[in-house]
Amino acid sequence: MFLKKTAIALAAILAAAGAARAETVPVLVPITGFLSLEGTSQRNGAVMAIDKLGAAEGLETEVTDTGTTPEGAVTALRRALAGEPSAAISSMLGTQMLAMIPIADRAGVPLLTVSGTAKITELGSANVFRFFPGDSVVKVAQARYAVEKLGAKRPALLYQTTAYGQSGAAHLKKILSGLGAPLVFEEAVDISVKDMLPVLTRMQAADPDILLLHLHSGSTALVIRQARESGNMLPVVAGSAMHQPTTAALLEASQLKGVCAESASSPISEAAGPVADFTAEYRERFGIEPDAFALAQYDGAAMLVAAKAAGAKSAAEVRDWLAANSFDGLAMTYKSDGTGNMAHDAVVVCYDGKSRVPAIASRYENVDGSN
Amino acid sequence: MSDRRSLLLLVGGAALTVYAVAFAGSYGHDVLTRAGIYAIAAIGYQLVFGRLGALSLAQGCFFGLGAYAAALTALDLGFGFPFTVIAGTALPVLLAALIAIPVLRLASHYFALATLGIAQLTLLAAINWTEVTGGANGLFGIPQISIAGLQIGFGLPLTAFVWTCVAVSLWISHRLTAGRRSLAVETLRAAPSAAAALGIDGAAIRFRFFLASAGFGGFAGALQAHAVGVVSPDVLSFHILVLLLAMTVIGGRDSPLGAVLGALLLVHLPEWFRDFADYYLVAYGAALLGAIIFLPNGLAGLLPERRTPRSEAKLPAPHPRRDAALSVEHVTKHFGGVAALDDVSISVAPGEIVGLIGPNGSGKTTLVNLISGIEKPGSGRIHFGNEDLTGRSPERIARTGIVRTFQHPQIAPGLTLGDSLEAVGPCDTEALLARVGLGERAGDLAGSLPPAAQKRLEIARALATGASLLALDEPAAGMNDIERADLAQLLKALAAEGHAILLVDHAMDFLLPLADRVVCLSAGRIVAEGTPKEIVQDPRAIRAYFGESPL
Repeated sequence: MFLKKTAIALAAILAAAGAARAETVPVLVPITGFLSLEGTSQRNGAVMAIDKLGAAEGLETEVTDTGTTPEGAVTALRRALAGEPSAAISSMLGTQMLAMIPIADRAGVPLLTVSGTAKITELGSANVFRFFPGDSVVKVAQARYAVEKLGAKRPALLYQTTAYGQSGAAHLKKILSGLGAPLVFEEAVDISVKDMLPVLTRMQAADPDILLLHLHSGSTALVIRQARESGNMLPVVAGSAMHQPTTAALLEASQLKGVCAESASSPISEAAGPVADFTAEYRERFGIEPDAFALAQYDGAAMLVAAKAAGAKSAAEVRDWLAANSFDGLAMTYKSDGTGNMAHDAVVVCYDGKSRVPAIASRYENVDGSN
Repeated sequence: MSDRRSLLLLVGGAALTVYAVAFAGSYGHDVLTRAGIYAIAAIGYQLVFGRLGALSLAQGCFFGLGAYAAALTALDLGFGFPFTVIAGTALPVLLAALIAIPVLRLASHYFALATLGIAQLTLLAAINWTEVTGGANGLFGIPQISIAGLQIGFGLPLTAFVWTCVAVSLWISHRLTAGRRSLAVETLRAAPSAAAALGIDGAAIRFRFFLASAGFGGFAGALQAHAVGVVSPDVLSFHILVLLLAMTVIGGRDSPLGAVLGALLLVHLPEWFRDFADYYLVAYGAALLGAIIFLPNGLAGLLPERRTPRSEAKLPAPHPRRDAALSVEHVTKHFGGVAALDDVSISVAPGEIVGLIGPNGSGKTTLVNLISGIEKPGSGRIHFGNEDLTGRSPERIARTGIVRTFQHPQIAPGLTLGDSLEAVGPCDTEALLARVGLGERAGDLAGSLPPAAQKRLEIARALATGASLLALDEPAAGMNDIERADLAQLLKALAAEGHAILLVDHAMDFLLPLADRVVCLSAGRIVAEGTPKEIVQDPRAIRAYFGESPL
């Protein structure tokens, strides 16, 4: 009798243990290298969402640094696939995504990312889900704000030589021409360039009336700092890097006067509501300010948890659920446009020159008309 | 190769195979594949950096160029794998051949900077030539490797294929450096001036190795393109070069096997430390530092020594030419505004010992440099027999039979005495070493010899080339009386055999009894010439050099 009871108890414990066995969600992001700031935000957002919302679904995370090379991302993904995950949070770096997508396709595992590189959703892969608005959304917001709100007619553009930079520059050129304000100056800036005065001097010679930036965080801060220190007070509408608190921290508040930036969202600009709660919790947990990448990846991971809660178990079920359903996240409502683009809204934030916390100046909803 | 070394390598290879087949999953195979690809590029880099000691900063560029060439031929031209890898190998080799002529002439840091410039230009082209390279996005969708319709799938098949390529690469590298060739290359690396003066064709070796390194780099890049499926400017970035450099140093720069061990370690290390989460790079860095501190000769240095097989031939050194006299006619040499030599003419006949004396800075070493081709004369002619050697390269001059030694011995300290002689040609090393009083030390390292013995080694090495004229720059410096007497006896015997000897030395008690004639230089001009007896009484020689007559 004792043995029987013991056996039943053991079986119950084992069953409970089996039911409670966690599924690991790989978080494959660049936390070293030139994208470490943005990659860290991506990691924090994903980890926070899974820890907070996914625990009830038996989810936990394992973070792997992909560095910034395609092969680093490939190795990280192959390592993760050995655990047979039903989805993976994957790098925001476009070239890494391009390398990971064929592998994910062969394994049938969906990748949830905040990469802005347009190409990743143009390859026909059913396994890519992008929770950050692509260039076809945020560049429209950036160009429209410059032309329609600030009255720019002679814009100049500085962009990075990376995939991110080239992709955004191509979109901006096309959109600005369509708005009747073609570029009067454009130049690509390498990520290693620290002295921006030569390019600013060349730009000044073209007599622009506004400066558009599409640079990573460090380069964005350097351009604005050196422009302001050299007396160049042109209005600036920058890419999403400028909305990041870590970028603003590199500049004096006074140097930010006349500076705006496009973004998917700006968590620190929200004074109350769920986004403000998210910001407070993020700040407490990580000791830093959240940015739009953190919030977008939080929302992406939260949608994955929602898929699990709705009964999606296998990778195929998760993929199908993500492709077919909409999700009300903290930043916006996410829904696939059929190619994996989930985010369709953007905001433009502006600094007042007195604080490093920007205010939302304009919202652009459903920009690509696919929501 | 020693038996223990062979056994260890066999066991290591077998363990790697067992791990790949039985234990490594797809992730393990992926890491092994990456290690194999980098090993091939590092084997190439080992030739230039490890063997020649030339800090080329272009190996990452060759790797990336190979990747782009393979990707473009696959995607734009629709070629299959054998052709893509040929393109990936050929393009870097072509670039290396084009840049070799100007770049290989440069020395040390200028060579490094020139190769860095080429790498940077290639990177800029990859980023900005977007129509061809895809810009920063790069090229993607590169197909898997397929040979004759048989697809090499990811996982074990690809790993096995790549490591087969590693084995072939090791074999090619071994063929390039096998036997006596490796000794000549080591002499070129450790003592480039001496190598040239001994007739070792450094330019040809550098050219061959530079092209081979480009070929290995490009081949590895082509494999990388097919293995990853994406090529972006990242493959041309500086970190690839740094990685290959670290693999070569940590693996052991003297051996291609070191490159393979370095690649295996450096690709696996960060993966082993993944569990350290945010601190894995700290652990990785600490491990690298530890390897450099505790393994100065790299991982390959842990293996038992490999012995270079000696040539079986016991060839006696060729007899000197008795028809060839050295004739230097009215040569001048200026360094900026300073006339180091001004209208100097001397001759040395077969069997004759001519002493060259003069105060420091009088032009003695400059004259030896002109005769041996290390410096070119501003005007005047230099003949050896009927051959005009004016302006010829040191290698060419050495091959006509003029070989010099150096004021400060130029030896390859890592070679044994026997190997030092073998490096310049097949010869009876033991007999030659015995002749200069080093017969018992054939197996000792040249670097372990005291300076005076190194000078005798230089003479033995010169004799191994079959030289007819020996230009000896202070051969008795640092020797005691007994050693000087032995050396004097040797030089007399060599002269008696027909060798012409130009002898530079400050030790008059050594030089004067030995020389048939003496030439005294002062401020770049000949101030006195004659028999030793005449020269010590010549007031011009006394004023310029002796101060008072040594008699």
